[in-house]
Amino acid sequence: MTDIVAGAPTRPRRMGFLFALLAIGAAGCTLPAVVQSPLFLTLMTQAAINAVLATGVGFLVRQNGTVSFGHAAFFGLSAYATALLIKFGLPAEAAIILAVALPTLFALALGVVIVRITGVAFSMLTLAVAQAFHELVLKWRELANGDDGMAIAFPARVFGIDMATFQQPASMFLVCWVALIAVILGLWLLCRSRFGTLTLAIRENEERARYIGYRTVLPRAIIYAVSAAIAALAGLLFALYNGFVSPGTLHWSLSGEALIMAIIGGPRLVWGPALGGVIFFFIKNAAGDFTDHWPAVIGITLILVTVLLPRGVGGVLVWLGARLGGRRPS
Amino acid sequence: MQTVWMRRMGLAAATVLAAAAPAAAQETIKIGVPTALTGTYADLGDQSRRAVVFAVEEANAAGGIDGRKVEVRFLDTEAKPDLARRQGEKLALEGYKLLIGAVASGEGLAMGPMLQRWDALYISTINKANQITGSACQPRMFRANRLDAADGAVVTPWLAGRKETKWAIMAADIAWGRDSGASFIKSAQANKRTIVSENYSPFGSNDFAPYIQKIKDSGAQGLWVALAGRDAINFATQAKQFGLFDTVFTAGVSFVTDNTVKTLGEVSRGIWGIINYSSTLDTPANKKFVADWAKKYPGAEPTNFEGETYIGMQVLLQAIARAKSSKPADVAKAMEGTTFDTILGKQLMRKEDHQLVGPNFFGYVGDKDGKLKPIITMSVPPETATPPADAACKMPG
Repeated sequence: MTDIVAGAPTRPRRMGFLFALLAIGAAGCTLPAVVQSPLFLTLMTQAAINAVLATGVGFLVRQNGTVSFGHAAFFGLSAYATALLIKFGLPAEAAIILAVALPTLFALALGVVIVRITGVAFSMLTLAVAQAFHELVLKWRELANGDDGMAIAFPARVFGIDMATFQQPASMFLVCWVALIAVILGLWLLCRSRFGTLTLAIRENEERARYIGYRTVLPRAIIYAVSAAIAALAGLLFALYNGFVSPGTLHWSLSGEALIMAIIGGPRLVWGPALGGVIFFFIKNAAGDFTDHWPAVIGITLILVTVLLPRGVGGVLVWLGARLGGRRPS
Repeated sequence: MQTVWMRRMGLAAATVLAAAAPAAAQETIKIGVPTALTGTYADLGDQSRRAVVFAVEEANAAGGIDGRKVEVRFLDTEAKPDLARRQGEKLALEGYKLLIGAVASGEGLAMGPMLQRWDALYISTINKANQITGSACQPRMFRANRLDAADGAVVTPWLAGRKETKWAIMAADIAWGRDSGASFIKSAQANKRTIVSENYSPFGSNDFAPYIQKIKDSGAQGLWVALAGRDAINFATQAKQFGLFDTVFTAGVSFVTDNTVKTLGEVSRGIWGIINYSSTLDTPANKKFVADWAKKYPGAEPTNFEGETYIGMQVLLQAIARAKSSKPADVAKAMEGTTFDTILGKQLMRKEDHQLVGPNFFGYVGDKDGKLKPIITMSVPPETATPPADAACKMPG
């Protein structure tokens, strides 16, 4: 009963989300014109790449209710795929497409197996898979130059676009920002679709969904693959911008950072982790300027957020928005 | 009333403008140091930091370079290449475009291709990998310290005098360790020695037991070690516990240094190794440097990495004075083919590969002036110590 009553008035608010997202997106696009500092733009570009990765991790939490400790695997695989495929003579365009496609397909195949497992065991499996890739590139020196990392031999033009576009902060920020907005928009639409509702139902009670007659493994594997694809996209953006890749991109600490970003921002919201990603990046950067012990600052932030704001910074913003809009906060 | 006010404003504006003009000309010289302030190589990064601070204070006390004050900013890289690239970019974009003092070779190799995009310049003072002035050489990248091939040039004649025929290698699995291992194999082959065990441990290893066991089982009589910082300490401590040093003659590079000897104490006694710089070197310039150093850091003598980084700072500051500019492009130009006055005498910065041609030394850890420290037994002059420019270096335009 309440659903029917509540459904009608919330629709305009949801459209409001769409307009707000597009407005923020458009505002972000004017940033390079307003801000001249290349330092700020390069920080914003890196923050946007972080935000894409965090969005992928957060989406898995939101939609499947599972926590991945290994999303760096898809981020790093994508970056390494770009570097290695170009190294082995593939055209850069093909390498770029495969850099997102290969990790996604791998995640789908892996997902069919591991989404059957829940809780901590799932998290540990994702961690193990990611660390296996980390060890592989670290030890196989002939393949990927080990700990020293490898430079990516991009040609001068990719897809007819000057490579400098991807390596100058002002233009690359636009690319990353548009990608971030597109990812959030895509996920938002996905969440509103029938498939989105189905996966939420599976998250809430898998057994019930199965009794109603739904297959429950494949939808969850697809969500896992979508979330991996977003991480892979972030890895690709990273590779394009930096032109350099090292085993750090596959390390569990990056997976952990992505998870912390999602928690700070609030994984219940599609856009929460992205906000968390930007906040995390700027805390890390500001703290790193005055102390070598910046992880302590991040740690304290994480504790404060989990204790005081269990729905993340994003959750607080929604609550404030609802209060200001005169609605009863849900 | 209003006209008076406006006239005053105009006067004030003119004064500000007049004051600003010379101020712009007197802009400070900004030096950026992306180095390992934490992690496995933190001790090396700290030596790099102390030397840069010393050189900057010395220059400022003497009235600056061409009357311009020198300013320095440090950022932590944890000796990780990707982080060095990010921190290097941050420093360059903040205006600290003259970069110096990174520890791991991978850091220099990661920053090298970016220098022109950042409009920056980088001087290596600790990176040893041959590629830096070889296949990966860059118009804006220079090296003031000795490369692996230069260490090889010292090791080859030294090895000829050793009786051990079977050798093992224990090195860090990064560009420098791999390079040093390859270089030692060449020296061994030149002397008809055999390598019976090659071991490369991940950067920042805690457990060396498997490698130590392997080396013991291999029947090696001699051991070449290329480990630095915490890796060196961990390995040496564990090797001692396993009794490795009792049966195997040991030598290395960056392994037993002034600082690791202080930490290891008796464990390091009798271990041989490359010495790239020593405070005991008897030149007037070096004596003055050591005396000044003791004033700045009471009770301390400059260590090998501190000496090497100070030489890098001498090269940089002299090049700025010569160029009468701190623009990286001008400084790079002033550096090429120029001979610099360093604490180890006059040294040429080669135009072809941007390698400073300097001397190299070899010795062992023993007692000197009642203290355990590396003692030089063999000195090799610059021309012999530094191999000719690597043909693999083709400067990108």
